[in-house]
Amino acid sequence: MTHRAGIAGFGLVVAFLATSSSPVLAELASLGDDALSDVSGQGGIYLSGDVSINEMGGPVENYHFGRCDDATRKCGARLAWRLKETGGWMVLDDIRGNFSFEGLTLRVRHVDSGFGGDGELFNRDVLELGLPNTVRFNDVHFKIAASNTARPTDPGFLQTDIFTVEMRGEVVMEGNLLVFPTGNP
Amino acid sequence: MMRQTIVAGLTTLLLPLPVSADLKRLDDNAMADIQGQSGITLEMDVGVSADRVSYYDDGQGVHLEGFRVGSSVTPDAPAHHEITIDVGQDASLNLDYLVEDRRIEFGDVRLAGAPDVSMGGLFLDQSLQGSLTMRSGGATGHGYTFDTAYTMTGGRLGYRTNGNEVFLDDITLTVEALGTTLDVVGNTLTLNSPSVVGSLDVGAIRYSGNSLNHGRSTDATTGALLPSYGGLSLDYDLSSRTDLTAGGRSGEGLRIDHETTIHSANFLYRDDTHALALRDMSGRYQISDLRLDVDHDWKGRPALALTLGTLEGDLHIGAIEMGANGKSIGQVNVSFLFQDQVFNGRTYTNAVYLQGGGHPDAGPQGLRMAAEWSLSLADLSYTEDGNRVIFSGLQSWGQGDITVNVTRDETRNGTRFYDGLRIGFDGVKAGYRINGLKVGDENAPLQGGTELLLALGFYPAYEFEMGGHITLAPGGATGEGLTVNSDIQLHSGKAAVIAAPYDEGSGEIPQKGLWLTEVEYDGHVRDMTLDVTDEGLVLGTGESWSTMDIGNVRVGDKNSGGSFGRLVLQKFEKGSTMTIVPGGAGDVCAGGVGSSASACAASGGIWQQRGDEGITIRLKQLLAPADGSGRKNAIAWETNRSSDASGNAVNGTGTQLVLNDIYTSDGGDFDGDGRDDNTFGIRTDLAVDVYQTKVVKKTDGADSLGVTGNRGDEKIMDSSVAQGYRYVANPTPEEILDRPLGFAVKAESRFKELSINRVDLVHPVGGTQTAIYGIKMQNFDIKANLTATPIP
Repeated sequence: MTHRAGIAGFGLVVAFLATSSSPVLAELASLGDDALSDVSGQGGIYLSGDVSINEMGGPVENYHFGRCDDATRKCGARLAWRLKETGGWMVLDDIRGNFSFEGLTLRVRHVDSGFGGDGELFNRDVLELGLPNTVRFNDVHFKIAASNTARPTDPGFLQTDIFTVEMRGEVVMEGNLLVFPTGNP
Repeated sequence: MMRQTIVAGLTTLLLPLPVSADLKRLDDNAMADIQGQSGITLEMDVGVSADRVSYYDDGQGVHLEGFRVGSSVTPDAPAHHEITIDVGQDASLNLDYLVEDRRIEFGDVRLAGAPDVSMGGLFLDQSLQGSLTMRSGGATGHGYTFDTAYTMTGGRLGYRTNGNEVFLDDITLTVEALGTTLDVVGNTLTLNSPSVVGSLDVGAIRYSGNSLNHGRSTDATTGALLPSYGGLSLDYDLSSRTDLTAGGRSGEGLRIDHETTIHSANFLYRDDTHALALRDMSGRYQISDLRLDVDHDWKGRPALALTLGTLEGDLHIGAIEMGANGKSIGQVNVSFLFQDQVFNGRTYTNAVYLQGGGHPDAGPQGLRMAAEWSLSLADLSYTEDGNRVIFSGLQSWGQGDITVNVTRDETRNGTRFYDGLRIGFDGVKAGYRINGLKVGDENAPLQGGTELLLALGFYPAYEFEMGGHITLAPGGATGEGLTVNSDIQLHSGKAAVIAAPYDEGSGEIPQKGLWLTEVEYDGHVRDMTLDVTDEGLVLGTGESWSTMDIGNVRVGDKNSGGSFGRLVLQKFEKGSTMTIVPGGAGDVCAGGVGSSASACAASGGIWQQRGDEGITIRLKQLLAPADGSGRKNAIAWETNRSSDASGNAVNGTGTQLVLNDIYTSDGGDFDGDGRDDNTFGIRTDLAVDVYQTKVVKKTDGADSLGVTGNRGDEKIMDSSVAQGYRYVANPTPEEILDRPLGFAVKAESRFKELSINRVDLVHPVGGTQTAIYGIKMQNFDIKANLTATPIP
């Protein structure tokens, strides 16, 4: 079967991704200002703002879902999927939180230099997602669970919460994410 | 007083036009005979008919057939006219006139070279009362000067094809034009109107699909009032100049040069008791070298040809108001220049070739316009609460046939038609592109930002071949309004999702971007209503379905950029709505959480009061489950395709990832009909504003424009420095007021339940295997508050 080949139709290169860990690909160094000056083109966008999920709750209000100020209800979003036709459901439950940033950039860029000489050989266009230096996470929260029904309101609903993830604070995200196609389209 | 009844008199038809070929200068002897009398009153019952009135240009003719002047009330009866003629002390000729219930019409316009088809008929009904004063003089001293004022009431202006008609009903028009001059300068007839002031009111725009009806507000069979698209009102104060010169683009014909200045104007579209208003308008336009010929189009078809040299102008709309309280979304300015230009290596011009026929299956009457256009440059700017965003460098080009028919709900000659005014597209190859956005003023750097409007289907550049139709029927969801039925097919499309500028200041360059190419689109809309309501402008779709087959998603160049593969998007919606509401995001906590300034600041956010103006677009998308006929919501991504002899990927030969049968629901069957309810859908509110934002320097040193600063410094606008901004480590409250403006979009999407029936992996030989047996997403409320500025 060649199903996987279909999914691998594009490549992702993280030019320099540093959170609290080491750079992912050390040979792909960040471009200096000289190299950046060779990048022709205006346009592109610099985005500032924030994204939130179920900040105050979602649109469903029943005996299971409700507003976030109601301790007897879940106010987060729920994502369920199943891998077998007659099997149970994996669940990302009670998803909520928000994050904010300044400096997420998006543009199309031609790479033909830099990257320790690899850029000259590369010589093509990429979609560049410039990561903001700092992303502030606020009360990001979700649970991994397993359930016997897709909906928590279905008859006989049972669910086992496996673990919960909570995240807050600042995360340093530097560098660019370069997206380009590889392989046979 | 002398009374005279004249049965026919073409002269009177030209009233109230300020020009009349039969109104010759009176010589002094004649004047002497008339002065001192109280004038002449002519009472006339005018009835004129002619089988054909023809115009020939270089031996090629166009015929107005079935020409008639008479009563608009009683068929075959004449129309009553009263004209009082007087000569003033200054030797001016004064006419006071009254025209009652007159109809001027012709049943058909037919080109001599295409006798089997025709363009359809026009009719004008009117009652007139007014005056015309004419004296010698003009602008040169050797012409004429006119003063005219008149009021038209009970007017109708209609277009009829194959027994169906659309007409403006209950027209009231007032015009006062003082000091209009008519001169012959060299070989040019010059009409100069320094002041034209007036108003127009159209009570209703009506449609009839009953061939027994002709120029009546009510149906001849049922007696009911004919359905209406709504009404219009316009008032204006303008001046204009028109030059007419003999000679067409080739041989005989007519050359027209014209310019108009709109000193002030207001426009209203009325839907029942609600209005969409364009207020405080002003502007100008200039037409240069417009030629009228009877000629042939680029395919050699006989046509009445209108070919243009240039058209340029600008329009300012001070406020666009809608909703219950007439709230404004802001100001709009448009500047435009139509002229010949090369696009994609081909020179496009501006021309319309009018031909008979319309859609070939709709009947012998209809209008076919073989059109070519070249919008060389346009800027569209939007200002709200004093802040401005410019959609800069808009260009458009195209060529193809546009057909116009008035049709009724029927299948005729194998083609499905709908009630209303049908605008058809036949082999239209067209495109448009914008250079980018500029926020603030014309000198601002180009930036992106249209990416934030993708949810509305806005692409910054698009080329396509188009066929299909849009049919506009009268009546909205309630009462007046519009109902739209359409079937549109696009071929060989190239649409930009992200687009870099096509001109960065040094001439045209290939436009880089993220492109959807080799696009084949087939879209259908049924019973989409358009109404103006208390809330704003509401579009409600009965049913819509489409397939967008994107041959390649390319990055870089639209023709040669690397491809991510093929993407097929299928949509099927029932009962979706879109509402355009005046007012933007209002108060926003950017980068934080909180509904008050203090709570926002405490969370680390910036409290923004984005003002009263702006636009909010509310979408409710009800995704319907697959209905078994192939209509569904699905996304397929195909890669690893085989190539043909030309190296092009062959669709269907690769492997596919398919999100199959995506639909919304309310999360259960609450009304007990055996199916999950689907009334909530995906609700998205998009609020668009132009507002300040925080821009932080990402690296130490100089930015792309050479302005230095340290990482983390804020960009502060400062007109006293060379690039118009500087970087500040710790901005003061005063400096914070000078943060840069951005294109601000606040979006909120909510849905109760979104399901994907299955996720399939498809192999061209091995067939389909299901990877995921169902995905259910429940209770989502996602908010994104993003402001786009140029990359420093």
